[in-house]
Formats: sequence, C-alpha cells, structure tokens
Amino acid sequence: MITIEGLTRVRGRARVLHEVGFTARPGRVTGFLGPNGAGKTSTLRVLLGLDRPQAGRALIDGRRYADLERPLTVAGALLDGSGAHRSRTARAHLRWMAASNGLPKGRVDEVLELVGLAPEAGKRAGKYSLGMSRRLGLAAALLGDPPVLILDEPVNGLDPAGIRWMRAFLRDSAAEGRTVLLSSHLMGELAETADDVVIIDHGTVVADGTLAEVVGEHATLEDAFLARTAGEGASW
Amino acid sequence: MVSQVRAELLKLLSLPTAWVGLVLGLIAAPALALVSAGGTRRAIENGFHADASDAAFQPLGIGLLGALILGVVVMSSEYTSTGDDSPGARQLQATLAAMPRRWRLVAAKAVTLSLLVTVQGTITAVVTLALNRVVLGDLVPAAAPGRVAGAVLYWVLMGLLAYALMLIFRNGIVTLTVLILNISVVSFSYLLTKVTPLAAYLPDIVGTHMFLNEVGDVRIAPLTAGVVMTGWVVALLGLGGWMFDRRDP
Repeated sequence: MITIEGLTRVRGRARVLHEVGFTARPGRVTGFLGPNGAGKTSTLRVLLGLDRPQAGRALIDGRRYADLERPLTVAGALLDGSGAHRSRTARAHLRWMAASNGLPKGRVDEVLELVGLAPEAGKRAGKYSLGMSRRLGLAAALLGDPPVLILDEPVNGLDPAGIRWMRAFLRDSAAEGRTVLLSSHLMGELAETADDVVIIDHGTVVADGTLAEVVGEHATLEDAFLARTAGEGASW
Repeated sequence: MVSQVRAELLKLLSLPTAWVGLVLGLIAAPALALVSAGGTRRAIENGFHADASDAAFQPLGIGLLGALILGVVVMSSEYTSTGDDSPGARQLQATLAAMPRRWRLVAAKAVTLSLLVTVQGTITAVVTLALNRVVLGDLVPAAAPGRVAGAVLYWVLMGLLAYALMLIFRNGIVTLTVLILNISVVSFSYLLTKVTPLAAYLPDIVGTHMFLNEVGDVRIAPLTAGVVMTGWVVALLGLGGWMFDRRDP
C-alpha cells in the first residue's frame, strides 16, 4: 500500500509538485500518467526518499522509505537507467545489493533468470543495450521479493517482446497481491495494464480513480487524458 | 551495519579503478625503495638525513596515492553516469534504494575504506621497510612498531580525508588533482608552513609527525600529531556527511 498525501515540492521558483495525493492499493496496478515534466518522476523520487518535499508525506505501508530497515524486502524500485556502475558486471551489481539487505547470494541468479539476463550476467553494465539495462534495473527491484513495486516508465527502451513480457509480469505481480505503481506517458500502454489511474499535470493531480472512472464517457484513456490536460496549454 | 560494510566491500572490490588504487598502493612504495636505494644510501652517508630512520619511511609517500584513489573512488563511483541512454542516472540511486539511511551509508563507506587501507598500508609498510633493511643494511635502524603503526594510520586518515573531500565536492577529478598535486608535485601545505608556523597543523602535514622525526622546523609529538589529524578528518567527514544527508542526489 502506497499513501501519498499533500506532497508539495518547490525547486528554485518552479513548483514541481502541488499537494499531490493518491493511494496505490495491493493487488492492483496503479498507473501514474502525465506528460513529460508533469511531476511523475519527482513524486516517485520523493516516495523513495531521494528528494525531500517541502510539505506532505509519501509512505509505503505506513512508513517512510528512508526509515525502512531492509528496504529491498519492502519495496522494489525501477528508475531511469540500470543503477549499475558501467564498469561493474550485472552479477557483481546485484551481489552487493543483495548483501546490503542481507539477502542470500542465490537470489541474484534467481532474479537474473527471471528477467532473462542470466546469459549476459558476466558482462559489464556499460556494454548493455537500453533494454538490457532496464532488465537489470528490474532484477535489482525484485531482489528482495518485495510486496510493493514502484516503476518509472518501465517499458521505455523495451522491444515489443519485452513490452509484452513486462505487461504480463506487472499483471501477474498484482494478481499475487502486490502493490504495483508505474508511471508512464504512454496511454495505450497504461490502458492495457492499469486497474487504477492517476493523472498528473503541472504538478497537480487532475484525475484519480479506476480506469473506467477516469475514462468516463470518453472513447479512450487518451481522449480522457487530453481533455484533462490540454486545457492548461500543455507544452505538447 | 555489518551487511552495509559487506555490501560496500563487494562494491568497491568489483570496480576496476579500485584495483588500480589497491595495486598501486601496494607496489609503488616497495618499487621506489628498490629504485632509489642508491640515492638514499648516498644521502645517508653524506649526512643529508639528520635522522637516518626517516629515510626508510620516505618511499611510503608515493604509495599513498593508492589510498587516495580508494578514498576518492569509494564515492566518485556513485556519481558516474550509468550509461549514455540515461545520462542523469547514477549508481547512487541504487545505493540509496538499498541503503536509504544516509548517515549509516556514510559510516559504512568510511569503515570499508579504513579496513581496505589498513590492510594495504600495513602490507606496504612492512614490505617497504623490510626491503630497506635488505638493500641498505645497517645504514637505517630497524623501524619501531609504533612508527609503522603511525604510518599506517596516516594512510588510513589520508584515505578518509580524500573520501571526506569527495562528499563535499562530489567531483573525483578536482579532489584527486588537489590531493595528488599536494603530495607529489608541490605541497601547498608545506609552502604555507613557510608563511605561518600554524600551517604545520594542516591535516596532511601534521600527520607525518606520527612516523617521521624531521618534518620542517616544527617538532610535534606523534600522539599530538595523530590526535590533531584525526580531529581534522572527523570534522571534515562530519561536514561531508551533513552535506550528503541534506542534498538531494
């Protein structure tokens, strides 16, 4: 369960987030939708304790991420890039991550297998394609078998087979009872995977509900999205 | 804390640059002791060294580079971009995802670095001093264990100093350039001692009093030197940790 309440973040003079609030519930895929620069990544970074808000809070099962004792066992996160130093091998990267949370070494090979990276595990991360980097990032997120998954644009850089795999993986994760929060600017993609949708624009939540509620009388999620965001003169 | 230190050890030892620092630190000083043996012998015979026992410790200075590289790399590697596809992404994101308590992370890195440099410094010091005895014979007295410990502690504290500066400046090139210039080309700290005697208490200068008897014109007891240098390093680590804790990565 992810709870975000009244999140406000100002950077310089720019208002990045303004009283952002929503929840992502277990057993459901929550899609966090918005144009580029709307505040999706900023919200996720605050949720993961990377950035600090001026007001409000972002909690995972009632606790701040930065207060978690073994965070990888509570929430797995996939942000931009693989997270691995480019001269480190994928296996070495996952080894230290596992060690930091007291996870068994065997778990490294399990997640490498799970994301289909096992044959390439001895390669340096800097030599990976974009798709492979995303898989490595996902492997790291899954190390602690966490009940909560937080994914920023997870299908970015994936080939069609990878996108289909990711979609099935996210659905399966929710079916297992996990809380899945993913951000995306791809509406077609979200319409395929999400149960609940939160739309953010210019740092403010403009729609929040089940997929059916947010689509409403519009023909598609895309129409609903454009109707809610275009009025403010979105940059695109 | 144990698992964090274990993670940081695995992290550092799976980085090629860290091995450059480790190996350089291990071989540079013994190599210099061998190469410069003739010069050192002449210098001692001509009475250039007021205290011949210092001559045995001199080559250790070059190996210090290894400890400095480790001190820088332990932090600079966190800031390296992970790939051309996502220039803004850095390993630090993964590190903070795994170890979000920042002060604990700062401490775990300091402990890891201290462990590695202690091992590195001890091996280097013992090998270098033994080599000196072999090539210079009785010209240099056997090193007192206390002074060897002082030299190793100096290495550890210099490694930690590099790490503290990295925490503050977040830039490996700047940190390493300043430190390397200062120890190998021209010591700004040493030049400052010509301006004010107080400069003798700058961290890199004062620390050498822990194992050298003749440093500049000031005499500082080894224990005082160790306490002053430790104070500097703790203060700078505190400042660096505070900045690391406050900043959004």
